[in-house]
Amino acid sequence: MPNLIVTTRDGTEREIAAATGLSLMEAIRDAGVDEMLALCGGCCSCATCHVKVDPAFTGLLPPISEDESDLLDSSDHRDEYSRLSCQIPLTSELDGLRVAIAPED
Amino acid sequence: MEAAVRIQEYDDPSYDPFSADDINFGDMLDPYPQIAQWRAQAPVLEGDYRPKMGLQSATYPDRKMFTIVGSDEILTVLTDTDRFSNHGYKFNIGETFGHGSISVMDNPEHGRWRKIFQKIFLPQYVKLWGETIVDPVVHNLMDKFVGMGRADLVEQFTLLYPFEVIYRQLDLPASDVRTFQRLAIGQTDYMHIDKAQEASRKLGEYFTALVEERRRNPGEDLVSLLANTEVDGDYLPPLVLISFLRQLMNAAGDTTYRGTSVLLTALLEHPDQLDAIRTDRKLIPFAIEEALRWDGPVAVQLRMAKQDVVLGGMEIPAGSLLDVVAGAANRDPAIFPDPDRFDIFRERKAHFSFSRGPHICVGQHLARVEMTRALHAVLDNLPNLRFDPDKPRPEIRGTMMRVPRHLHVRFGD
Repeated sequence: MPNLIVTTRDGTEREIAAATGLSLMEAIRDAGVDEMLALCGGCCSCATCHVKVDPAFTGLLPPISEDESDLLDSSDHRDEYSRLSCQIPLTSELDGLRVAIAPED
Repeated sequence: MEAAVRIQEYDDPSYDPFSADDINFGDMLDPYPQIAQWRAQAPVLEGDYRPKMGLQSATYPDRKMFTIVGSDEILTVLTDTDRFSNHGYKFNIGETFGHGSISVMDNPEHGRWRKIFQKIFLPQYVKLWGETIVDPVVHNLMDKFVGMGRADLVEQFTLLYPFEVIYRQLDLPASDVRTFQRLAIGQTDYMHIDKAQEASRKLGEYFTALVEERRRNPGEDLVSLLANTEVDGDYLPPLVLISFLRQLMNAAGDTTYRGTSVLLTALLEHPDQLDAIRTDRKLIPFAIEEALRWDGPVAVQLRMAKQDVVLGGMEIPAGSLLDVVAGAANRDPAIFPDPDRFDIFRERKAHFSFSRGPHICVGQHLARVEMTRALHAVLDNLPNLRFDPDKPRPEIRGTMMRVPRHLHVRFGD
């Protein structure tokens, strides 16, 4: 049961207890963070689940696919910490993961 | 282009595909009070949407049908792909656009092909088309009436520009364009299914020859790009490629024509909001999203239950077809307070007009670019824009698909 710390766009930090087996996007959305639009439902098709991941966790994440990278390029707010949260499966290793919801495009 | 690529007219050249719009998609002025009444009763209703709205039922195989008007239930049907499928579209658009249309597929098959099309229509790429394709098309059309002080912005502008954009993207010979448009529009004349099938067959033959020609002599156009795209060392399957090209006119042309027409109508009906945009063009994206929410071009989407499900208290047997009323969610007062009001300043929340889930509109970014360019051109070139007092006011109509047929305006002095 990984715990997540999610910073919303107004800077508020929220702690979320997520079930394993979910994606990071699903965990944030299911916790009622409605900034997490995730309009395509999590199939790497829309870039509305963009988050910035704390660099301390970068090495624990799966690599960015070409499709994910293309979609992230569509955002004006992409930087080295950017990921689509639907592409990050939550594992117990990611306990304590810190992410921030990226600004809206 | 070589003579081998020939476009063929309907066997009956007097057939008018444009006149079939009303019986296919209805001409209701305001379906929203009825939809609100349903929503107040239940989120899921037994029976299909068309006859409830006074239209002839679509000809689907015998199976139960339901109409979904609750926002939660709409979101569930569009995103829960374990329980709901796009295979319902096999009975209509699959029959004409072709069964290689990604709209009739479910994942993982859908995703495999979608990502190829999705890549072409990413915002960073379609932005470039705004300058190279959309702007020249828009200005070319507007130049024809800008000096006249009056126009029908639908007939002379919005009904033309998205299609012109497609012809340029495909680099079609000008001599083919008229027949091409007639065939493309006829493909969705489901009430005259023989004509829809004839159109589909003739467009299929045309595109097949065009693809072969562009493999021999590739250009910079979209047909050349797709014709020469390889997946795992092979070209796209012909069925997928031809289906996509057949669907393009409807998916990218018809919808954008409707969306832009509604946008301009709504702004003219709210001159204070139009003035606000004149003063601050940064409001344009808000106006576009609000127009898409307030009266989105596609009011209803189709899905199918993959298994027996209980949704909104209703038992739905496997195989049932579901009319998912995006227009109901877009006017849900629980999401959008005072939902019938067009208000570009309302709190921004995601609408349902490009759908949700894996089938979310792959061309949405191009649609936004087109509408943005069209609105800039209107603001730049048509000062003092107002309804023509000598002509009828526009009426946005349609039961399945929404559009005003005319938008008579004056501008200048």
